[in-house]
Amino acid sequence: MRPDPGPDTSVAIPEPGAAVLPAYVLRVPTGPYRALNPLTKFVIAIASAVVAFGVRGWTGPLSILVVTAAIALIAGVSRSLRRFVLATIPIVASILLVNAFLYPGATDVLFRVGPFAATGTGVTVALQAVLRVIAFALSVAVFSLTTATDDFLADLERRGTGRRLTFVIGSAIRTIPTMGSRAIEIVEAQRARGLDTEGSIRRRLRGIVPLAGPMVFGSLGEVEERTIALEARAFSAPVRRTAMRALPDSSTQRALRWVVGLGSLVLVAVSVAGRFPLP
Amino acid sequence: MAWLSRQFSTRVIVLIPIAIAINIVLGYTVQTILKLPIYLDSIGTILVGVLAGPIAGALTGILSNLIWQYAPGIGGGTIGPFAITAGVIGLLAGIWGQLAVYKSRPASGRQLILAAIAAAVIVIVVVIPIINNPAYTDPNNGYPSWVYTAAAVIAVVVAVVVVGFIYIRRDLAGLWVAVAGVVTGIIAAFVSAPISAIAFGGVTGGGTDLLVAALRQGGSDVLHASLGQGLFSDPIDKTITSFVVFMILSGLSGRLLARFPLGERLVRDRAA
Amino acid sequence: MSVATGTLRLSGATYRYAGARHDALTGVDLELAAGSVLGVVGPNEAGKSTLCLVAAGLAPVVVGGRLTGSVTIDGRETVGMRPHELAQRCGILFQDPQAQLSGTASTVFEELAFGPCNLGLPLGDVIDRVEASLATLGIAALADRDPARLSGGQAQLVALAAILALRPDFLVLDEPTSQLDPQGTRLVGEALRDLARESRTAILVVEHKTSLLDQLADRVVVIDHGRIVRAGPSAEVLGDPALVELGVEPPPRVRVRAALAGAGLRTPDEADQLLAEPAR
Repeated sequence: MRPDPGPDTSVAIPEPGAAVLPAYVLRVPTGPYRALNPLTKFVIAIASAVVAFGVRGWTGPLSILVVTAAIALIAGVSRSLRRFVLATIPIVASILLVNAFLYPGATDVLFRVGPFAATGTGVTVALQAVLRVIAFALSVAVFSLTTATDDFLADLERRGTGRRLTFVIGSAIRTIPTMGSRAIEIVEAQRARGLDTEGSIRRRLRGIVPLAGPMVFGSLGEVEERTIALEARAFSAPVRRTAMRALPDSSTQRALRWVVGLGSLVLVAVSVAGRFPLP
Repeated sequence: MAWLSRQFSTRVIVLIPIAIAINIVLGYTVQTILKLPIYLDSIGTILVGVLAGPIAGALTGILSNLIWQYAPGIGGGTIGPFAITAGVIGLLAGIWGQLAVYKSRPASGRQLILAAIAAAVIVIVVVIPIINNPAYTDPNNGYPSWVYTAAAVIAVVVAVVVVGFIYIRRDLAGLWVAVAGVVTGIIAAFVSAPISAIAFGGVTGGGTDLLVAALRQGGSDVLHASLGQGLFSDPIDKTITSFVVFMILSGLSGRLLARFPLGERLVRDRAA
Repeated sequence: MSVATGTLRLSGATYRYAGARHDALTGVDLELAAGSVLGVVGPNEAGKSTLCLVAAGLAPVVVGGRLTGSVTIDGRETVGMRPHELAQRCGILFQDPQAQLSGTASTVFEELAFGPCNLGLPLGDVIDRVEASLATLGIAALADRDPARLSGGQAQLVALAAILALRPDFLVLDEPTSQLDPQGTRLVGEALRDLARESRTAILVVEHKTSLLDQLADRVVVIDHGRIVRAGPSAEVLGDPALVELGVEPPPRVRVRAALAGAGLRTPDEADQLLAEPAR
C-alpha cells in the first residue's frame, strides 16, 4: 500500500528567500516554438505523423509539409532540415521506381522505359507516398531539433510517468554514444586483425560475433554494479520523486494539445470513412 | 502510467536501456559498416523479453524504435512506425522466456539424431505451407513460381544449419531456438507488411526492395509484395537473432541470470 | 545484549552468494563507531568487496544470497531494511567512477540531486544538500560540468558527493582509488582525509594503497579467505612485517624503515623518529 505522500512538496515553486536552482540546471528553453512545452511539441509531432500517413490523398501530406516547413522557419531550424530530408533519399527513390513502374493492376500508361511502363495510377501513388514520407521526416526533424530530450523527460515525470520510464529513456540515450564508440573501437581492432568488412557474405556474417561479443558481454556485465549503485541512491524509494525542473506550460497550450490531438484523429477517421472532401 | 513503472524491478530497469543501446548500435553497425542484408536490431529486445517478461520486452522494442526515430543526434530514418512490430517481437520473446525456450538441453546419441531429424522436418513443414498461404490471401493473388523454389531452398539451408547446430553443440535447444526465431520472424512479417504498405508504399528503402519489385512484376498487389519480402527476410533475420541471443544467454553466468524474473528458468539444470 | 547507538556492527557475520558453493565471509566481527575510520586490507579474493556489500546492507537485500549472524546499524538489523532506508544510513562507493553515476544527469548538480530527489524531499532541502556536498568536498567549481566528461578523480569525488547528499552516518569505500591515476588518487585521498577529520561520518575503507590507510585509518583489520585474521590500531597492524606474507604491501614508511634498518644506515630509533609521522 502506498504511503500517504502528504502535501505536495514536489512542485518546484521556491518560496521567496529560499534557495533557488542555478540557471544551468533550470535550462529554460527560449526562442519561438522552442519555448513551447515539450509535450505540446511532441503532440504536434505525433499528430503530424498521424495526419501525414492517415489522411489519404494529396491534402494530408501537403498540408503537413507546409505546416512543418512553417514551424521550422519560425523556430529557425530550416537549414538543419537538410540532413533529415537527405536521409529519406533511399526510400524515396525506391518508392518512386517500384510504384511508378510496377503498380499492380494499373493500365493508364504514361511512358515506357525499356520493358517497363510507368502508369498514371502508379505515379500518383508514388508521389503521394513520397510526400507522406518527407512530411513525416520533417515532423520528426522539427521535434528533434527544437526539443531537448532532458526537457521532455523532466516534463513527463512531472506529469506522473514515474522515475523508471524517465531513467530508462534518459539512460538509453546517454548509453548509445558510449556504446557506439566502443563498437567502433572493436570494429577497428578487428579490422586490424583481418576482419572482413567488404568480402563475402559468409565472412562478414562471421564478423558479427567478434563485434557483438565484447560489446554485449561488457555492457551486460555492468548490470549488477549499476543496479547496486542505483539502489544505493534510494532509487526504489516508494515516494513521488521531487521534480527539480519545471518547464513552462499554459492553459492555451493545453487547449492546443487537445485540439491538435483530437483533430488529427477526427481527420483520419473522416478520411478512412471516405468522406474527406479535399483531394 | 505509474502502474507500468511499478511492475519492473531495479535490475530490469537497468537492463532495458543497455538492451536498447545494443539494439540501436548493433543494428546500425550491421546495416552500415558490415553491410549485411539483415537487421539484427532486435537482440536487446528479445534478451529483455526472455529475462524479464513480455511487457518489459515489448517496452524495450517500442522504445528502441521511438528513440531511434526521435532522439536528437540519433534520430532520423523511417523506423518509427515499425515500433508496433518491435513491440510484438518483445512480447513474443516474453512468451519464449516463460517457456524456457533458450534453456540449454544437453543430449547425446540417439536423442540428438531424432531431434535433428525432427528439427529439419518441422522447419520444412512449417515454412513452405505458410509461404504458400499467407493469411491475407486472395486466391487470385498467389506468388510467381520462382518464389516457391526460393522458399524451398531457404528452408533446406535453414534446416541444415539447425541440424548442424544441434549436432555440433549436442544441445537440443537448437530446435526450440530455431522454431522461436522462425515463428517470431513470420509474425513480424505479417505485422510489418500493412505498416509498410500504408506508410511507405510497400517498400523499405533497402536492397530487399528488388524482391518487392520482382513480386509485383509477378502479379502480387502492394500488400502481398510487401508480405512476400517480409516473409523472406524476417524469418532469416529473426532466426539468426534467436541463435545470437541463445549464444549470449549461454555465455552469461548462472548467478547473473538467476536474478532476473524469468532468468532462473534458464539455469534450473545448470551446474552453478 | 547492549545496543550502542551510532555504531555499525557485524557479529558473527557469515555470508554466501546465491548459488555459490563456499561462504564468502565467515564469522566476521567488526565494529565501526561514529567518527572513526576503519581500514581493511587483505589479498585479492579475500572477501573485501563482499565485506563492503554486507556492511552496507546491500548483501543480501539487493544482491541476494544468505546472511547468518547479524549486521546492525544503530541496533537495527540491515536485513529488515529496504534499499532506500539503507541508502540513508550507510553510503557505499565503488572503484569504477562512471559505473556508479546515475548516467542520466546533465550536470554535476543534478547528479548530486539524484539521491535526494529520489527520496521526494522538498526542493529547498534538495538544493541545501547538494550545495553542502559540493562544499564539503570542495568541488563547487564542477557543479555545472557534464559528469560523463570528468576525469577519473573528479568523477569519483562527484560520486562521493552524491552519496554524502543522502546524509548517511556511515560510509563504506571499496578501493576508491584503484582505478584512478596518481593525480586522481591524490585528489580523492585528500578529500577523504578532510572528510574523516571534519565530519562525524564513520568510514570503512578498503584499500590496497596502504599508504592511504596509514594516513586515514584509526584502526585496521586484515581479512583473508573471508575471515578477519588481524585487528588493531593502524600503526601497529600496518607496521607488522607479517603483512607481506598475506600479499599486502606495507605502507612506504614501513618499507623504508625496514630497508634503512636492514642496511644498517640508521639505528631503528632514528629511522623511527624520521618516519614515525606520515606526511599529513
